Parts: sequence; structure tokens; C-alpha cells
Amino acid sequence: MRRLALLLALPLIVVTAAPASSADAQTPKRGGVLRIAEREAPSLDPHLSISFLTHSYVSLAYSQLVRFPNGPEQKHPADFSILPDLAEKWTVSKDGKVYTFNLRRGVRFHTKPPVNGREVVAEDVKYSLERFMAKSGFNTRFEPVSAIEAIDRHTVRVTLKEPYAPFLNHLANPSFCVILPREAEEKFKDFNHPDAVIGTGPFVLRSYDKGVRVVFERNPDYFMKGFPYLDGVVIEITPDAAARVAVLRAGKADLPHIWGWVSPEEGKALQKTSPELLVVPHQVIGQGFIYMRTDQPPFNDIRVRRAVSLAIDRKAWNDALLFGEGCIDPGPIPCALKEWKLDASKIDAAKARYLIGHDPAEAKKLLAEAGHGKGLTVPMFHWPGYVVPWRSYYELAADNLGKVGITVELKPEEYGKYISTTALGKYEKMAMGPSTPFTEVDDFLYGRFYPELPTNQSRVADAELSKMLTAQRREMDPKKRKQIVDDIQRYLADKAYYVYVPQWPQYVAHPNYVKGFRHHDGYGLGMRLLFTWLDK
Amino acid sequence: MKQYVLRRVALAVPTLFLVSVIVFLLLRLMPGDVATRMVEGHAYAPTLAALRHDLGLDRSMHAQYAEWIGNIVLRGDFGRSYWTRQPILEEFVRRFPVTLELALLTIIVSVVIGVLVGIVSAARQDSVSDYIGRILSIFALSVPYFGLAVVVVVLPSIWFRWTPVWTYVAFSVSPAENLKIMLIPALVFGVTRAGPIMRIMRSSLLDVLRQDYIRTAWSKGLSERRIILRHALKNALIPVISLIGLQMPLYIGGSVIIEAIFRLPGVGLFFFEALGKLDYPVVQSVNLIIAAMVVGLNLLIDLSYAFLDPRIRY
Repeated sequence: MRRLALLLALPLIVVTAAPASSADAQTPKRGGVLRIAEREAPSLDPHLSISFLTHSYVSLAYSQLVRFPNGPEQKHPADFSILPDLAEKWTVSKDGKVYTFNLRRGVRFHTKPPVNGREVVAEDVKYSLERFMAKSGFNTRFEPVSAIEAIDRHTVRVTLKEPYAPFLNHLANPSFCVILPREAEEKFKDFNHPDAVIGTGPFVLRSYDKGVRVVFERNPDYFMKGFPYLDGVVIEITPDAAARVAVLRAGKADLPHIWGWVSPEEGKALQKTSPELLVVPHQVIGQGFIYMRTDQPPFNDIRVRRAVSLAIDRKAWNDALLFGEGCIDPGPIPCALKEWKLDASKIDAAKARYLIGHDPAEAKKLLAEAGHGKGLTVPMFHWPGYVVPWRSYYELAADNLGKVGITVELKPEEYGKYISTTALGKYEKMAMGPSTPFTEVDDFLYGRFYPELPTNQSRVADAELSKMLTAQRREMDPKKRKQIVDDIQRYLADKAYYVYVPQWPQYVAHPNYVKGFRHHDGYGLGMRLLFTWLDK
Repeated sequence: MKQYVLRRVALAVPTLFLVSVIVFLLLRLMPGDVATRMVEGHAYAPTLAALRHDLGLDRSMHAQYAEWIGNIVLRGDFGRSYWTRQPILEEFVRRFPVTLELALLTIIVSVVIGVLVGIVSAARQDSVSDYIGRILSIFALSVPYFGLAVVVVVLPSIWFRWTPVWTYVAFSVSPAENLKIMLIPALVFGVTRAGPIMRIMRSSLLDVLRQDYIRTAWSKGLSERRIILRHALKNALIPVISLIGLQMPLYIGGSVIIEAIFRLPGVGLFFFEALGKLDYPVVQSVNLIIAAMVVGLNLLIDLSYAFLDPRIRY
């Protein structure tokens, strides 16, 4: 009877708990340790690894110059407005090429040797950003940077070769530009040694038992007074995905993933079996697509590409695999990137049908016009190991395309091969996979469509488009930039350079007593946990 | 005996050399390389080239091999992980007790179950207990240990809000806590490994029980218990011991998955994660060390035959 009552109450719990405002309205309690079950990060040095695990782990201990909003500060999970972090304020020159940052005074590194609580100064910023440019796999994000100077003890000037609108977003991304103390690298050779993790963030890395657990403690000297609420955070190394969900169910962990993520199936199952958990779907930045060699036959013919897009039944796809909760219009800008997204409904319907429409008869007609009346056979390269429901995605795409006469031969690849060839545009004819969930719209546009870039997987070379792509990243006025980005979306709607497939909502699961933990798409965990507290 | 041991040790050298070459080449035959894996397509050519140079991957294959094997042979230096930059041997030594304990417990579980069920099956041939024993052995042979492990971890968490996954505690810190953590993984792994032991034990014992000296024992009026345990079992155990020797790589190999599922920070997990990251030096060195151990253990097992059967002499 109790079980039945709980089951009946479940939809109520989920609906009412979805907005975090109710949790925010409560007075946060201090204390407690949050336990996270997650795989081991491949490295702790934020510049020597591009793994989201590395950046999420160390985001607890480091700060940046500027940061994204989190917890009660954020309007939605993809809110990438820029807030001060170590930089108290900053100015941008009129030509958009000179950024001057004024550092907060009196912010100290964690009291661990060899840094021992020294104050953060402009030289640290210069050192960290230059190290990022020299060592990080993401360093192309800073290609336009020409000089970084420490003007005085608390002022840093960054000069760019040209105006570059994405600059502050990259600077705020925890994957890129954390501020590190030089002494630690001098002593430990890099920042991978647990003792070298010395930052100014809300938590101090206290101990690291390799393969077992990583222990963080509250930084009592954190510069945002009164934060964090938690006494500490423990990451229990749990390599197996099934075991991570099992320890959540068994009450041995509070988050079954570094960000609390579970797949839609797991989320649904947890909602049924574990009423003591809060399992909430969020629209997050994500994108999956079919990409094609647009520089070669048959996909250099726009009619064939349009036929591919028209073959995809996005509504049925959403209903069959995503419980009808997905977004069927995730490209070229993901649904969650609300500030930049131009919905298909706002684009001329005659063009938008090649973005989200389903019309097998028209697809067959287009194929016949392109000389493939008898159908054609193409390979589809992919890595089958992506999270559920990706494996079903490849099969469903093949099934949809088969219905209009495009026979797909699924070509699964080993991850090493996929990531170093197919994902870099080195494949034949057709491939499929997800996009990295970037935080800056430029990565979904310039990165995906500008000629010769390895992330331009469809090998698009469109002079008119390229002009707009360059213009949007040089436009410093957000309103004008948005207009160019809208124009790009209108332009791309009927080109079918990439064929986008529905995107699922991301389920986040944790016990009800975890409060104030709001999902954010910005890779950093430290700021999310800054506002998290335990009601027990 | 001494000469035999020396000969076997000498033979181990070419074996290990071949292992080292094969593993070295296989890793490099895998598509992609560790540098592309590290940056996952985010870096452009200059960064990748710098990374490859930094890791020494821009040198010829034979130069890389010579450096790796040379450091091991001349200095006992097994190299450093490309990802964590930590010494491999140090990490191996730190993690090895976990894997060794898991392997020993698994062997104990599989031998106790396998030998006991095998004896009962053989002693009561074609009886109900024999059929039950044979069904059990087929079950143990058919169920993959990783499948059973996932079931053991997941189902109790759904049914009882309980799961046998704990934060690892070393034996030296708390033996009781440690055994609590290790027992279920060892049971899961041991039960599935007991299958072949049951079958070999049964057929081997049946074979021995038909020998003349057993008939003589019966005619002397000895009890069944005495005949089986004192006279038959020791001889029937020889193929079982061989089997355990042959299964040794499986005990180590299986620990890769068992450690990942049950959160045990052993060598298996170290190897598994290194393989996923194409961490060449770790995969090569761990492989070589384990190969050396398997060669050594097989030698020990061969020598143990002489103890079990006095007719065997080297």
C-alpha cells in the first residue's frame, strides 16, 4: 500500500521538484559531505587532458578570471552570461581587441606547499593563460590572442589580433583557463600530482587514493564569503556504469555521475523504483547528426542530401526512443542554446522542411532526379560505444534511409579509429555521431562549417557561408552578432550539409535531500557544488 | 631438477621477448594513437605534433622499443604512464596486492566448489547428486562472470536498496572490512571458474577409480571415504592442477572486468583503463610483468607434479 502511494505521488514529486526554486527558497544548511560515484579522471592537469572528467574534478579546486552563472544565478542550464571570478571587473577597448582585467585583491591560493596561501597576482594569470596556449589541446580557441601582459600586481591586459566575440565565453569555460600557481609546476613538473592541485576554488583537494577515492574539503578562505555550504566532496572511483547507478539506489552515493547524469531509460526506471530520488529531465546542449562528404559524389548533390534529411521521421524517432521528450530541431544550433537558437518555426517553411521535415515521397523524387532512381548504397561509419540510446540511433537512421531507397551499410569502428579519422572528417561518404556539447555558438557554426577545419566533418566549403561565419565571430555587439547568427541559420536551413536527429533530455538523478544542485552545461562542477547543500 | 629449472628459466627469455614484441606492435597497429586520443580531435596539427614529440612518438618504432625494453633490462625501469606521468612499476606494486588477493580468493572458491562437487559427482555417478553437480558445472561454464557480476551488483540495489559495492579498504588496514569487500567478487568469479574444475575433477576421479590399485584397495576392505580421499584423490588432482595453471591467465585477465564492476583498485583496472586510453607504456609493461608471472607460475605448477606423483621426476 505504501509502495502504491509512493508510486501515485511520484509524478507530483517530479513535477513540483523540477524547478529548483523550491529548494532555493529553503534556508540552506551547512555541513555534510557529498558523495559522487564516477570514473577516475585520466589526469588532474587541466592543460594536459581534454577529458570532461579532468576538468570537472579540478574545477572544485580552481578559479578562473571570469565564470558562468550557476545555482540561483543561472536562468537556465545553458546560461552562459559572464560573471566575475578572480577578475573583479574588466573593460574591452572600442575596437574589441584589448581586454583589461582587474583582479580581486587578497585572494589566496590554498594553504598547501609550495604555494602556502600566497596571494593571486597578475603574473599568475599571465603564466596560466600562456601555459594554456602552449600546452592545451583546446589552445586553438586562443588563436586570436597576440599578447598577455601583467600591467601591475592586480591588472592583466590581453591583446587580440582581431575582434573575437567568443573570447570571454572561452575564458569562462572551466575546460580552458583555470588560474594555476607556477611554483606547483616547478616542484611537481606538472599539475597532475594530487599535491600540485593548488587553486583558489571553493574546495581543497585533501587526499587522493588512486583507484579508490578523491577527497575534497571546504576551503575556509574561499573569497565568496559563506560559500560553499558543504564540508566536503568525495569522489568514489566507480568505473562501471551499472555499479554507479546501483550505489545511488543503495544510498552509497549522492550522484551517479560527476554531473548526476543518467540515461533516459535509467531515469525512467529510477523514477519508478526509487521514490526517494529526485530524477529530473533537463534540456541540455547536445546534438547528433549524420555527416556526409559534401566534397564528393553522391553527397555533393544537394538533392541527395535533402533526400537524406526528408527520410528521417523525427517525430516517430522522438516517440520511439525518447519517450516523446526530445527536441526534434537540434541543428545547426542545439535547442538548449536558447540565446542563439532560431527555431525552425521562425524560418521560411519551404526551407525549414529540409531541416526538420519528413517526406519520403519527396525524398524518393529528389533521389530519382539526382540519378539514383534505383536507389543507392552508402556506408555509415560510427562508434557504437556512445551512451544509450546512441546504438539505436544508428539503426533507426539506417532504417529511415532504407525506406527511401538509400541502403545503409553500418560500419562500426573502434573508438581510437573513429576519433582520429571519422570524427575528424576522414571517412568515405557518410558517418554519424554526436557533437561535443560546446558552450560557445561559434563552435557549432565556425567550427562545424568553416573550410579545412578538422571539426568540419561534412567538409563544407561555401564561400558565402564562410563570410558570415567570420563576420559573427568578429562582431562585438551581441545584438548585431545575433542577427548574423540568425542569418546563418536561415541560410543553412535548406542546405542539409548535416542532417540532425532528435536530441534527448538529460536526466539528472540524486536523493531528495541534495538541495540547490542545478544542472549547468558549463563543464565545471565546483560552481554547481558551491550552492549545493544537504537537507539531512 | 636444478638443470630442469635452469632450462625452463632460459626458455622463458625468448617467450617474454616475443610477448614484449607482440604487445608493442599490436598497440601500434591499433588505429589512432595516444596523442589523438588525448586531444580527441580538438587539437590542430601543430599541437598534435608537439604532443607526439613530447611523448617520443615521433621516433622510429625500433628506437621506441629499444628504449622501453632497454630501460627494463638494464635499469629495471618500466617507464611512466603517458597520461599521469607516474612511474608504472610503483603503481603496479601498489595495486598488485588487490589483484593477488582477488586471484587467491577466487582460486580457493573455485577449487573448493569444483573439487567437492567433482568428488561427489564421481563417487555417486549417475545419481541425483551427480546430475545436480553436472547441471551446476554446465551453468558455471555457461554464465559469463561479468554478466553474473552485473546481476549481483544491480538486482539487490533495486530489490533491497543494497549493493555489494564498497569503497576499497586494504587488508593491512582492516582485514575484516577487506574480506567483506573481496568475498562477493571472489565468489562471483570463483563460481564461474569452478565449472571446468568440477568437470575435470569428476572425469579424472572416475578414471582413477577404475584403476587396478583402487580395486585392490576395495578388496582390502577399506572404507569408501579412505579410498577416495587417501588413494584416488591425489592422483586425480593432477589434471586439475594443470587446469588451474592453464586458467591462471584467466584469473588475472578476468580481474580486469571484476575489478571495474566491484570498484577494486587492482592491476586489472589499471590495465583496463590504460588500454582504453592507449597508454602504451602501461599496457606494455603490465602485460610483460603479468606474462613473466604466468611463465613463473606454470613452472611452479609443473614442479608441483613431482610432489603429487612421486613417479614424476625431472
